[in-house]
Amino acid sequence: MQEQRIGEVIEASSTQWTTGAYELLNAPPFGSLIKAGCYDNDLCVYGLVYDIRTGSRDLGGKAMVRGGRRYDGSEFYDDQIYSEHPDLAAVLQTEWSALVIGYERAGRIIHYLPPQPPTVHYSVHLCDDNTVHRFTQHCDFFRMVLHANLPIVDELLGTAIRNAAELQANRREYELYAGRELARLLRDDYDRLRVLVRMLTS
Amino acid sequence: MPLDFNQVGQQIKRMGGDLRQTANQHDQLVTTAWTNLEQESPRWEHWARHAEENYLRSPWLLAAPAEPITNRYRLPKFAPHYCLAAVDGSQIDLDRHWAVECFLINLGLVTIQYGQQPYSKLHSVPALHYNDQELLLRDKDGRSYKMAGALVHAERDTREGIALASLAQEILATSTAPLVAMQDGTLIRWSLSGLDPWVRSHFLQRYLDEGLAALRAADVPTCSYISHPKAPEVTGIARLIAKPTLNSASKAEGIIDPYPGINDTKLFGNGWLGDGERSALFKSLSKINVEEYGEHAIYFFYLNVGAELARIELPEWVAQRPEWVDLIHAVAYDQAHRGGGYPVALARAHEQAVVRESDRRVFRQMIEQALWHARLSNGSSLKQDAKSQVRV
Repeated sequence: MQEQRIGEVIEASSTQWTTGAYELLNAPPFGSLIKAGCYDNDLCVYGLVYDIRTGSRDLGGKAMVRGGRRYDGSEFYDDQIYSEHPDLAAVLQTEWSALVIGYERAGRIIHYLPPQPPTVHYSVHLCDDNTVHRFTQHCDFFRMVLHANLPIVDELLGTAIRNAAELQANRREYELYAGRELARLLRDDYDRLRVLVRMLTS
Repeated sequence: MPLDFNQVGQQIKRMGGDLRQTANQHDQLVTTAWTNLEQESPRWEHWARHAEENYLRSPWLLAAPAEPITNRYRLPKFAPHYCLAAVDGSQIDLDRHWAVECFLINLGLVTIQYGQQPYSKLHSVPALHYNDQELLLRDKDGRSYKMAGALVHAERDTREGIALASLAQEILATSTAPLVAMQDGTLIRWSLSGLDPWVRSHFLQRYLDEGLAALRAADVPTCSYISHPKAPEVTGIARLIAKPTLNSASKAEGIIDPYPGINDTKLFGNGWLGDGERSALFKSLSKINVEEYGEHAIYFFYLNVGAELARIELPEWVAQRPEWVDLIHAVAYDQAHRGGGYPVALARAHEQAVVRESDRRVFRQMIEQALWHARLSNGSSLKQDAKSQVRV
C-alpha cells in the first residue's frame, strides 16, 4: 500500500526537520513515525512528530478571534469559522517538527543520524503500520530520543513505544523488551525511568 | 540624527488643538449643507442637469444625482452565497540608480467563494519589464515616453483592470455562484488626468476595452471599494446649490467656497446613513469620467459599513441594474464585516500583491547576480550604495 503523502519539508537539519502540511489542520498525531525524502534517492530519513502547530503563513502574522455573532444576529463558532472564512485555508499553515531517529538506505533501516538531512521541499509521508513495525523491531533509536535536547523527549519516546507495541503480535513481550532497554539507558536516572515505565503500563 | 521628537511633540499638540476648533466649524457647515441638500432633494433632476451643464466651469468637483439626493437604502436581505474576484497590484519602479533599467508589476489575484462549496484561491503574478519596447512608449509621431513613475503606476492600474476581467472569466467557467468583481480604490483613473493626451489614451483605452468592456461582456457586476474616501463630489452639489450661478466663483473675484474643508465623508458622517445603509447613486462628473469613459461612466454611492463610511464605485451598466446594485451593496457590507472593517478579499489581494522592502532588496540582489553571471558590469550608482548603508 502506498504510504500517505502528508506534506513537504520546509526546514531541515541533521537532527530535526519541519514539515508544512498539505492540508490545513491535518497533522499526524504526536509521536507518529514519518519519513522524508532526500535528493539522494536511495536515502529516506525517519523522524518522530512533535510540536504540531498552526499559525499565519506570513511572518509576523497572527490569528485573530473570528467567531461570535454575525451582523444578521446568527452565531458561528469552531468549524463554521472555517466555512465562513474560506480564505483561512490559504493564509494559515499547519506544520510540525520531527526528531530524526534514523534512516533507510537500500532497504536497510539504520538507527543513527543520516548522512544528509531531508531535502527542503521533498515529500513527507506518514509511515504505515508495516513500516512502523519494521522500524521499531529494534530499540536502538531510544538512545537518540532520550539524548535529544528537547523538553518533551520522555513523552515523545513513551508515545512512540506505545504505538510500536500496539502493532506487535505479542505486546507484553515488546513492552518488556523496551522496558529493559530503557532501564539500561536510564540506569543513572531512576526518576525518568519510573515516569517512562509508568507511561508504558498506563 | 533622525526626528527630534521633543520639537515634533509640541507641534503635534498644537495641531490637535487647532483640529478640534476646525472640527467644530465643520460640524456647523455640514449641518447647513445637509439642510440645503434635503430641501433640494426632490429637484434632483434639475441639479443633475445643472451640474452636467456646468462641471467644466465649476471650481469644485461635482456629481450628478441619479435619484433624489437624500435617498437611502437599507441593507438588502441577502443569503451570503457568492463568489468574489478581487485584484490589487504593486510595482517596483524603474530606478535610474540601478545597474539595469527595469520595472516590475506584481498583481495579487484572489477568488473566494462563500456559502455552498466555500473555497479560496490566492496567488500573485509578477511581470518584469526590461527591454526597450517595454521601457519606452512611442506614439505615432515617434515621440517616446519613458516607463517610469506615473507611467508605471498607470500601467499597473491598467493591468489590474484587465486581470480582474480575466479572473472573472476564469471563475465563470467553473462556478455557478453569483459573481462580483471588486477592485481596490477608484475606477476613475485620476492619475491619468495630468498626462499627455496620447499617453492617457494609451492606458485608458486598454483599461476600458480589455477591462471594463470585457467585464460587461461577461455580465459580471463590477465595483471598486474605497476606504476612507476623500472625494468632495456630493458636497459639490451642495456648493452648487449655494452658488447656483457660479458667478462668485469666477476667477476674477476669487473662489469663495461656501463649505471649506467639507468632503463627502464629513457630509455623510452626520449620522444620516445607519449601519448597513447606502446613499443614493451619483454619477461622477470628473472631466476624465465624463469625456473618456463613455458607456462605462462611473457612478458611486456611500455605504456605512459600521466601522467607517466607504465609497463604492460602479460603471453605468452596473448602476442601471438595481438587482446588481443591491448585490454589490450586500457583498461590500458582508466583505467589510468578514474583514473586520475592510473587505477581506481586497486585504488578501493586497497581501498577495505587496512588495515589501525586504522583497525589493532580494529583487535587487537577484538582478545583480544575474548581471554577474552574464558577465555584465554591476554599475549601480554610488549614490544608491551610499543610501543603502550608514557609514560610521
